[in-house]
Amino acid sequence: MNNYKLIIMTDDKQVVLERILQVTRYRGFLIDGITAKVNTGNNIATIELFVSSDRSIALLIDQINKLVDIKSVKVDNSAAKRLKAKECSA
Amino acid sequence: MTDSKLLTGSGLLFNVLEQHGVNHVFGYPGGAIMPIYDALCESDIQHFLCRHEQGAVFSAVGYARASGNVGVCMATSGPGATNLITGLADAWADSIPVVAITGQVPTAAMGSDAFQEIDIFGLSLACTKHSFQVTNIEELEKVLHQAFEIALEGRQGPVLVDIPKDIQMASVKQTFDTTEHLKNKVKLPLADISKALNLLTHAKQPILYVGGGVGMANAIDEVREFAQKTGMPSVSTLKGLGAINPDNENYLGMLGMHGTKAANLAVHDCDLLIAVGARFDDRVTGKLDQFAPNAKVIHFDIDTAEINKRREADAPILGDLKENLPLLALALNIEDWQSKVQQMKNDFAWRYDHPGDNIFAPAVLKEVSDLMPKNTCVTTDVGQHQMWSAQHMSIDDPCNFLTSGSMGTMGFGLPAAIGAQISRPHDTVIAVSGDGSIMMNVQELATIKRYQIPVKIILIDNAKLGMVRQWQDLFFEGRLSETDLSDNPDFCMLAQSFNIKAKQIRKKSEVTDAINDMLDHNGPYLLQVKIDAKDNVWPLVPPNSANNEMMESA
Ligand SMILES: Cc1ncc(C[n+]2csc(CCOP(=O)(O)OP(=O)(O)O)c2C)c(N)n1
Repeated sequence: MNNYKLIIMTDDKQVVLERILQVTRYRGFLIDGITAKVNTGNNIATIELFVSSDRSIALLIDQINKLVDIKSVKVDNSAAKRLKAKECSA
Repeated sequence: MTDSKLLTGSGLLFNVLEQHGVNHVFGYPGGAIMPIYDALCESDIQHFLCRHEQGAVFSAVGYARASGNVGVCMATSGPGATNLITGLADAWADSIPVVAITGQVPTAAMGSDAFQEIDIFGLSLACTKHSFQVTNIEELEKVLHQAFEIALEGRQGPVLVDIPKDIQMASVKQTFDTTEHLKNKVKLPLADISKALNLLTHAKQPILYVGGGVGMANAIDEVREFAQKTGMPSVSTLKGLGAINPDNENYLGMLGMHGTKAANLAVHDCDLLIAVGARFDDRVTGKLDQFAPNAKVIHFDIDTAEINKRREADAPILGDLKENLPLLALALNIEDWQSKVQQMKNDFAWRYDHPGDNIFAPAVLKEVSDLMPKNTCVTTDVGQHQMWSAQHMSIDDPCNFLTSGSMGTMGFGLPAAIGAQISRPHDTVIAVSGDGSIMMNVQELATIKRYQIPVKIILIDNAKLGMVRQWQDLFFEGRLSETDLSDNPDFCMLAQSFNIKAKQIRKKSEVTDAINDMLDHNGPYLLQVKIDAKDNVWPLVPPNSANNEMMESA
């Protein structure tokens, strides 16, 4: 299992979170944690999604990117490494 | 001027549909969509009352696939909406542009388990390209435009718009503002073809692997020209049939589970595979790690997510096939490979000699294909008859062969044929069905009756769920479980009760006359072709096998 942190920028639509969760589960990724905040100034939501899977993270990034309301999806590699280190020491 | 006039949401809906060139919609009314059906009376759009919402959505799919236009269907809330789900899933899996309008309970009642309330919006997330629920009348016009834009943009797909009853009745002014486009389309990088060119010039045994994306990208001319100019042998997926001219001497037909032996062996031996609008589906590849095991891959696609999904591409080329493929169209020196491939094509050509008087379905379908007028649109249901149609009918354009590819949905064929016929009233439309499949949307015979839709139905009747029976015989030690249909209704009587001319044939000697009688008849027709229950589809790549390990008999 590999751990990843995704940073997703989206339009602030109520259903976006539901769509992201559905795609993530369907494509074979486990959700380890999630935070979501809306910038009320520009109505852009930032979602941090911690996932784990044996599958390549590129598969999930491509699928989330296809959702209509998504602005960008990035992997935060440093966070993923920290997460892994924590897991090992635990 | 109309633009100052107040409309209802429902009136606005039809205006926007008309703006998008919609002439026909398929649907079924009910409580939560009554304002829309009321506004229908004032619209120029023609509505076809199907006899089940699944029939409506599949007719919309057939309409879209046969014509290239968006198919539109409508249903009421609750059970009406859930009855659309299978068709939406089918359109999603085969990337078909459909817009589905559903009525919803009034916004004030939403979330209260109201009568006929279901969260169709939530249900749609897994089986549509996108969906909307309109809870503010001011959003309706924009959302409807976006629905059409999303259905057609990039990789096409179905879009659902759920409209609560109070929004349908609310008054609104049409803005005629269509300028607000989607903001967040996936931006594709400019294609980098240098790597692909390098692979191509070094290839000795290349194969062109053609998928359903070719027709949808409107790139049939470019793909044919590419095949011609390079002289490259080609194979097709089920959905790609018709993209390559079937008379091309280097075309080997369908690949995959029920593909031709020549196609599968050539792909197995190739050193370069050029995938165009195809996605390495499991029915195509067989055992994935043994699919084209020695080949480099150039993968053309419009959808980033298809690249490297099932097979790593050595040279991915994202974007519009129509623009990108011609960049690789070079003359190649591959005579040895061409003659090897043509030899295989010859060695493994279909044979139609078949002992006895009983009818051989592949021969019937071949003869229908030879006799049918140019530009006939064939739809199929799912099972053995579907694979026989794909193998033995000669298809000259993907919009002339409509079959449920990815979902494999029984019940597709009849309503899809109705939609196809409505979109192309001057072409012949033939639905090839099975005695199992036809019963899945048999109620649509009533739609044929009502509108006198001259669809020709060829019912390949083996009194079995044939494809499942075949697998039980081959892979479950012949233990037949729930695949017997020997108590079928009298299909000819059934058809006749819907004013559909019908005929049953059982012997080879009856075939030619029956096909001609069917094709010469002006109205709808059902030709019931009785075949042996034991006939199998050959060849076959067994489950978990490589494509070069085809079975050719039991
Ligand atoms: C809706 C649906 N249910 C079940 C199946 C599984 N299935 C695939 S082929 C088949 C048998 C089809 O029988 P028939 O329509 O008579 O065609 P045949 O194979 O005999 O030509 C079945 C049950 C399916 N594809 N779709």
